[in-house]
Amino acid sequence: MAGAIIENMSTKKLVIVGVTLLLFQAFAFMVGGLIAPSPTTAVHYLATKCVDTTKHRAETKWFMPWGPNQCEKIRNFEEAMAKKIEANNIVFAVHIPLPNKEMSPWFQFMLVILQFDIAFKIHNQIEDGSLATIDVGLAYRDDTVSEWTEMAHSFEQRKLSCNFTTAKTYENEGRYYECDLLPFMEVGSVAHKYYLLNIRLPVNERKKVNVGIGEIKDIRLVSIHQNGGFTKVWFAMKTFLTPSILIIMIWYWRRITLMSRPPVLLEKVILALGISMTFINIPVEWFSVGFNWTWMLLFGDIRQGIFYSMLLSFWIIFCGEHLMDQTERNRFSVYWKQVGPIVFGSFCLFIFDMCERGVQLTNPFYSIWASDVGTELAMAFIIVAGICACLYFLFLCFMVFQVFRNISGKRTSLPAMSKARRLHYEGLIFRFKFLMLVTLTCAAMTVIFFIISQVNEGHWHWGEHTVQVNSAFFTGIYGMWNLYVFAIMFLYAPSHKRYGDEHSSGQCITGDNGGNSGEDIQLTTTITHVDGPTEIYKMTGKEAQE
Amino acid sequence: MSHWMRDDGLTALPGARSCFFFHRRPPVHLGIISALSDLPDLPFEMTEEYVLRCVLMLCCALLSANASNWLYLAKLSSVGSIRDEETCERLRGLIQRQVQICKRSVEVMDAVRRGAQLAIDECQFQFRNRRWNCSTLETMPVFGKIVTQGTREAAFVYAISAASVAFAVTRACSSGELEKCGCDHNVHGVSPEGFQWSGCSDNIAYGVAFSQSFVDVRERSKGQSANRALMNLHNNEAGRKAILSHMRVECKCHGVSGSCEVKTCWKAMPPFRKVGNVIKEKFDGATEVELRKVGTTKVLVPRNSQFKPHTDEDLVYLEPSPDFCVHDPHTPGMLGTVGRQCNRTSKAIDGCELMCCSRGFQTQEVEVVDRCSCKFHWCCYVKCKQCRKMVEMHTCR
Repeated sequence: MAGAIIENMSTKKLVIVGVTLLLFQAFAFMVGGLIAPSPTTAVHYLATKCVDTTKHRAETKWFMPWGPNQCEKIRNFEEAMAKKIEANNIVFAVHIPLPNKEMSPWFQFMLVILQFDIAFKIHNQIEDGSLATIDVGLAYRDDTVSEWTEMAHSFEQRKLSCNFTTAKTYENEGRYYECDLLPFMEVGSVAHKYYLLNIRLPVNERKKVNVGIGEIKDIRLVSIHQNGGFTKVWFAMKTFLTPSILIIMIWYWRRITLMSRPPVLLEKVILALGISMTFINIPVEWFSVGFNWTWMLLFGDIRQGIFYSMLLSFWIIFCGEHLMDQTERNRFSVYWKQVGPIVFGSFCLFIFDMCERGVQLTNPFYSIWASDVGTELAMAFIIVAGICACLYFLFLCFMVFQVFRNISGKRTSLPAMSKARRLHYEGLIFRFKFLMLVTLTCAAMTVIFFIISQVNEGHWHWGEHTVQVNSAFFTGIYGMWNLYVFAIMFLYAPSHKRYGDEHSSGQCITGDNGGNSGEDIQLTTTITHVDGPTEIYKMTGKEAQE
Repeated sequence: MSHWMRDDGLTALPGARSCFFFHRRPPVHLGIISALSDLPDLPFEMTEEYVLRCVLMLCCALLSANASNWLYLAKLSSVGSIRDEETCERLRGLIQRQVQICKRSVEVMDAVRRGAQLAIDECQFQFRNRRWNCSTLETMPVFGKIVTQGTREAAFVYAISAASVAFAVTRACSSGELEKCGCDHNVHGVSPEGFQWSGCSDNIAYGVAFSQSFVDVRERSKGQSANRALMNLHNNEAGRKAILSHMRVECKCHGVSGSCEVKTCWKAMPPFRKVGNVIKEKFDGATEVELRKVGTTKVLVPRNSQFKPHTDEDLVYLEPSPDFCVHDPHTPGMLGTVGRQCNRTSKAIDGCELMCCSRGFQTQEVEVVDRCSCKFHWCCYVKCKQCRKMVEMHTCR
């Protein structure tokens, strides 16, 4: 019979393939752990308090915290008080990066987090639910002498959620509130060398703007960007993986087209999985080094989303095609109930992502979490997506359970079957169990490494070597799913053994199956089965039997 | 303010500045005027006399190099910004090797000076209710003779000052004032390629390293008795540990759709008030130690062998503190508690009984101008009504 390669492969060869894949897997982990630096870096900035002495602001003036042309600075606000400087004339300036450093397109993205240092004063406390209104401008330049070019300017509101952990007594004045981190800015490409942020906190008592936000002592920013080294390793990996998956995909599809029957659903789904993997793999990010494409971050999200939903659909369809009951499937529409939640869930996440990162394309300071409506909307999207995920996993678990129940049912009747039929079912069971095992291992690995990378502080010291656990997680897991897709396409491609006598093998099976016509339908729906409409084979089988 | 000061003998100390609780941090009962006026720094003029005094003082400092004299930097507001290497020579309170460090890294010195001021402020805040309230003198050593002895108070001063330098330098790093920090000894060195490849290490590492080289250098220089040097080094390290072990870990998720698939964590420095509180707690539980030889090395071990040995984060001291009750003109900094305000109802050290060392206290009715129904902006603007009220004030005899 013309089964998949995995069934017809000798154990020895299977072991060789397995070991090779494991070696590649170990290599993927090692590339991340030993060569790459940690995936991201967080840099602290303390905003410099500049004084805006200009009387009327006709054009935007940029305030530099240090270096030549630095602004007129004040150390603290007591000094400002003594000099009778008003809150509206204070500009918090932050230059990204720190002196003697340069930003680079290899950083891929940059997101900035805002933190207020607010001192507790018994007469000037933070009011409940108070909003900080921030007038912020972002500028860039590519050398140290030219003028700053404005990149974005916006008025933003951020909700201060601060609490004071000790008693609100006179004794504790001067202690700081503990405030939540505020999302501040996100840019999807770091095309320029120097960035400058100017932040104002305008006060307007009549409009209740920035009133009741306590006594702000400092503004701290944390900027996060991907490490250049990690980006390079990542790109290298993608560049290497793309052709590997592409080649195996072409090889796989050629095998299928070589057969005289049209491809069955499962084969198409595997191809789709390969395509979505290639889509993720193609290193279009190389362009981000040369071009200022801010949508790269969003595009990456979309690609990942497509791959995830493809992988989830593949699992469902694979289970369904191995159900071994007497229903005719082989059509995508049969699975709408299971695939529906995936599509809907990923659509929700897509909308959410468009609302957050999509809007950030035009206003880098936008955050959906900043407003109440936005927060509710975002939560709604995420909850719906979560429900969809739960629904999906219920379906999947139920299907897997069904398959196992059928398997155990078949097991009892296996000895009574004819040899060919027994082989066929054993092949089905083996294929299913193999994929089940591999999938579970991959999923478990992902979860375990995810937990390790979350719990761990990011790197382990191994004698003199430092192992970057987080980088190893990313490259290892990414490599693992690539190998997974690779292995599926390779092992589940139709076997070329006895290619020539497809017809006779078909006769062989159907001939043996003649007695149990009900189960024949099942055979035709799986990829192991030979081409041609069922009835004919049934007939020929019956004929042969007779 | 002067009427709160004792007029007995205190005038013998030129420029003695008592820093009482209500002086440094003006509370409600002194009115707005004092609340708004910060302590004016005594102006120095670069006269010949001053320079002479400077040189003299430098010599003195070199001879009696066992106090944290560099804290005197906090008092040198007249020098302006420490910009060039020549200024380093003129700074009072530094020993020769500190001057060398100053010359090597001039840009850091402003941060060091702010650190010194921070240490003094925090010390005065933490000790506002104690008999010794961290008063500073205009002479060296800044805290008077208390700190030159191996007392608990000295342990605190050393710890807080080492911590404050680390803190101030780290802050200066984050605001971009310093060019050397971060990226110190990372995998790929100091080059910009290092930053591009793997980012920079935390600024706190630089701050702590600078504090270690600058503050500890005194104890490592010659002419220091072994037990005091060990004690000071230990307390300096304990002060820095107070920052390091209270770093707050903060994280941000930024994976697909902001999921925690990708998470970046960093360590944020605690506010300095918290560092002060931690060191104050260590002060309360400090261990009395003595020098003992273990093998060939000298170590500090608890005097009472039943106590469990101190850890790296604990403060240690060699001799018990004096009671700080009476003003001693021969001991600079020993101001006594006469004229200090006390709390009548408290049984603790700020209570009148303990604070006044059983000498009794005076009670006065004072009318104070309080600020009430104020309007604040987040910075630089306060508009209040004035409310007058009568308050009983107790001062030690």
